Amino acid sequence: MQSESARMSSAAEARFRIQSPPPTNRAVKVIDLDVASDADVMRLMNEIPHADLVMMVVSAGGNTEAVSAIGTVCSDLRVMTHTVVIRDDSASEAATSQTLGEVRPWSLMVVVVNRRDYVDDILRSFR
Amino acid sequence: MLKKEHNDLLTQTGPETPFGRMFRCYWMPALLAEELPENDCPPVRVKLLSERLIAFRDSEGRYGLMDEFCAHRGISLWFGRNEECGLRCPYHGWKYDVAGQCVDMPNEPEHSAFAKKVKLKSYPLVERGGVLWTYMGPAEQQPPLPEYEFATVPAAQTYTSKRFQECNWLQAMEGGIDSSHVSFLHRGDINTDPLFKGARGNQYNLGDLRPVFEVVESAGGLFIGARRNAENGYYYWRITQWVMPSYTIIPPRGTHSVHGHFWIPIDDENCWAWSFDYHPTRALTEAELTAMRAGKGIHAKVDSQYRPLANKDNDYLMDRAAQKAGKTYSGIEGFAMQDASLQESMGPIIDRTKETLVSTDSGIIMARQKLLHAIRAFTEQGVVPPGVSLEHQRVRSAAVVLPPDQPFKDAAREALIAHPGVAPASV
Repeated sequence: MQSESARMSSAAEARFRIQSPPPTNRAVKVIDLDVASDADVMRLMNEIPHADLVMMVVSAGGNTEAVSAIGTVCSDLRVMTHTVVIRDDSASEAATSQTLGEVRPWSLMVVVVNRRDYVDDILRSFR
Repeated sequence: MLKKEHNDLLTQTGPETPFGRMFRCYWMPALLAEELPENDCPPVRVKLLSERLIAFRDSEGRYGLMDEFCAHRGISLWFGRNEECGLRCPYHGWKYDVAGQCVDMPNEPEHSAFAKKVKLKSYPLVERGGVLWTYMGPAEQQPPLPEYEFATVPAAQTYTSKRFQECNWLQAMEGGIDSSHVSFLHRGDINTDPLFKGARGNQYNLGDLRPVFEVVESAGGLFIGARRNAENGYYYWRITQWVMPSYTIIPPRGTHSVHGHFWIPIDDENCWAWSFDYHPTRALTEAELTAMRAGKGIHAKVDSQYRPLANKDNDYLMDRAAQKAGKTYSGIEGFAMQDASLQESMGPIIDRTKETLVSTDSGIIMARQKLLHAIRAFTEQGVVPPGVSLEHQRVRSAAVVLPPDQPFKDAAREALIAHPGVAPASV
């Protein structure tokens, strides 16, 4: 007789998995710091209490002025912060390092990518 | 989560699939050299990327890897006679050389030229670093031999094992870039395993269970940095490298050897987990080799077919008492089977449309996306994928303690490149 592990990890048994994914209703708030206005930042600050995840997007060498304020609120409210730094071909290493230094204290996850379309890919992954 | 079409794209590597064609751009580990230990030794069945092949070593030491089945009546050449520079089918005596060329056809007239017209599909098979490597892509696009550091250091400095894993290659490989599981699943072993214990970095690992991650694109794949608190406001960084499509290097610990994996599809529901340990500047000690052969560290105890002794048929030798006592976190012994047992429990191919990923899964998310982008570029424009270049292969992992304002990628820039004869950056 097969062991339980062998039986349950078979393709045949996979058919009996519950088909609907668990509902998460995750609230993800995204702000593109390269184009965000002060009003956008204020709107985000008001939304943070209802968020599960705040994603900040900024180009290497971009405007990081609002990061500390957003990060402070997220930290106080125990909301996950995830920053995507976009390092396109024109970005210098120095600019990338500086931006990383500015976002790192306020980000629990940092991803450095070479293409902006990765932002959509990442967001889709979070469903 | 991943859309179904993307999950299918990443998990199917047969000959006619988009990713199958891209996977064939790379040199891949096919066998351990020990599997063909001498000239004219028994041939070995090999299945890679959903193709059934036969490997043999001829009378002059040349390696061959070709279609498993005789062109005549489809007999498995595993039954063949390996003799006089060729593998002879025992049914009617057709004989093939290491390139798959039929060189003798005894059931045809004595001077018939027909044998010259029969050639089995074959691939190059080359020994490097105790591993037999193959390239299964178009001959005209064959890249130079691989230069992963574990395969290029002197033989005394490296050890490689392999084990059969009963699930799709991607869910196995994703474990290799998921640094956040180490503090949980492997916590019972970090301070006791002979190939891990004693390193100062272990205390940082166990003392800070909420690492902060930075994932940075590299030329060949990704740097995955896990940051934990060290003393005086400094950070302990463990930087894993993933090189496309499936090479992962784990950051070293103390003076221990460096280790990592290759994840190679056998078919879409099974893979080989290759595990290597090497040290760039010294020979491995007898004690280290003994531990590796005994399945310690990232290796596993396996049978003659390289299937782990702890496997799904015996519930991985689950030990609930050890789990309860905290000796192991999951109740399974050893890093390798702790990972494999959970990855196999997902089923042959996990349905990624139902996942609930979080930010700490960003390494996995980015790896999938990079693979998808590469497949698209390769399929639509013929772009050679990352990881084929030798420069992408000459890299290392690192473990370093850095001031808080220093990005790991800059501060550890040289440590992340494989410089022959230079010790690894390790804590």
